[in-house]
Amino acid sequence: MPGIEWIRAAGVFAALLLVQPVFVADKFLDYPVRPAGDYPVKTEKFGLTIGIQPVEDLKEQKTYFHTELSPKGFVPVFVVIQNAVDGDSFLFDKSGITYGSADSSPSTPDARSKAGDKLAVVSMATLSLGGALLAMKLISDASWVQENIVKKELQSKTLSPGTSAHGFVYVPVPKNTSREKILLRIPVTRTGTDESIVLELAF
Amino acid sequence: MKSTCFSFLAASLLSAILFSAVPVTLRAQTKSPEDTMLRLKAALVLTPDFCATKTKKGSFVSGKETFEIGRAACAELEPALKGVFFSLTRTAAPPSPEEAQVVLLPKFGDVEATKTLGAFSDREMIVLLEWTVKDRSGKTVWIETVQGSSKHHMGNTFTHGKNVKLIVEDSAKDAAEQSASKMSSSPELRKLAQQAP
Repeated sequence: MPGIEWIRAAGVFAALLLVQPVFVADKFLDYPVRPAGDYPVKTEKFGLTIGIQPVEDLKEQKTYFHTELSPKGFVPVFVVIQNAVDGDSFLFDKSGITYGSADSSPSTPDARSKAGDKLAVVSMATLSLGGALLAMKLISDASWVQENIVKKELQSKTLSPGTSAHGFVYVPVPKNTSREKILLRIPVTRTGTDESIVLELAF
Repeated sequence: MKSTCFSFLAASLLSAILFSAVPVTLRAQTKSPEDTMLRLKAALVLTPDFCATKTKKGSFVSGKETFEIGRAACAELEPALKGVFFSLTRTAAPPSPEEAQVVLLPKFGDVEATKTLGAFSDREMIVLLEWTVKDRSGKTVWIETVQGSSKHHMGNTFTHGKNVKLIVEDSAKDAAEQSASKMSSSPELRKLAQQAP
């Protein structure tokens, strides 16, 4: 009976309209921040400490991003940069971050919203023929996930004495295979000088 | 009689001290806008490219949207930053060193907007604005990223365009206000203002 199908579709549509997106912004948990020196992978130079925590566990990725990023080819790495220098400020520009294996030339990580873009593409690619209504719901939810990825990203800033910066960088990794050790290079510049300090961390 | 007189004098003295102290304390707590202003001659560089920035989001399936974020930001930044610097001039290109003590260069980082199915459901927009502040010699003295955001209804076929305009304007306004707050409280810019002749 085609009539019943239409009524069913209309019912699903009405129900979807009443449901708020599951991934409302407030429901995304913040990743816990610890002092930079407390992370298992850390380095220190001239009073600047950087600690990182790669979030490779898929359950953890689900908890903080409501999606699994590793199967999409990214590993989220939480970075904390702390300036304990008395009197000196440092400029951290995220566009200067590079990564690579020890035997390859460094590249710039997809610290921008490429991980989020990829998510939208994947959501589109996995659309079933089940119905455009459900697809619309998926897209609606994906936009919250995408925005959360951008919100959690590490941003450029000036590190005044006693302050810190934290956030994620999304490093591309091979899908469904084990990855090589990655070397992350984070440059910072002492304010008012051209003195650049590069801190390296391998994970 | 003597003790009454003494009590009266003591009470008068105490109240005089108390009442005279109140305005002094209030004066000390309230700073005039000029006190919080950075005594610097600043040039705000809003290039035609920056003001024309448009972000396109969505697809054929989800619906394409264009956010005219550059136009909104260029309308909001100058008024918001006027109260931060002693002198602020808007320019379309970086000025010569004698024209300004600091040059403020904004750049859009990322613009994201969520989508909802219901016309009356709130969607959220975030705008990342990256600031670079250079001194007379061209050295970068301060960088910062601010995140402006706002929420508005998704809207239906008839109201969607108006709602898009509102969410863009409000996000830009929030980003401008946050920029002003961050610049105003920056120790690096305060230090520069103190060193300036």
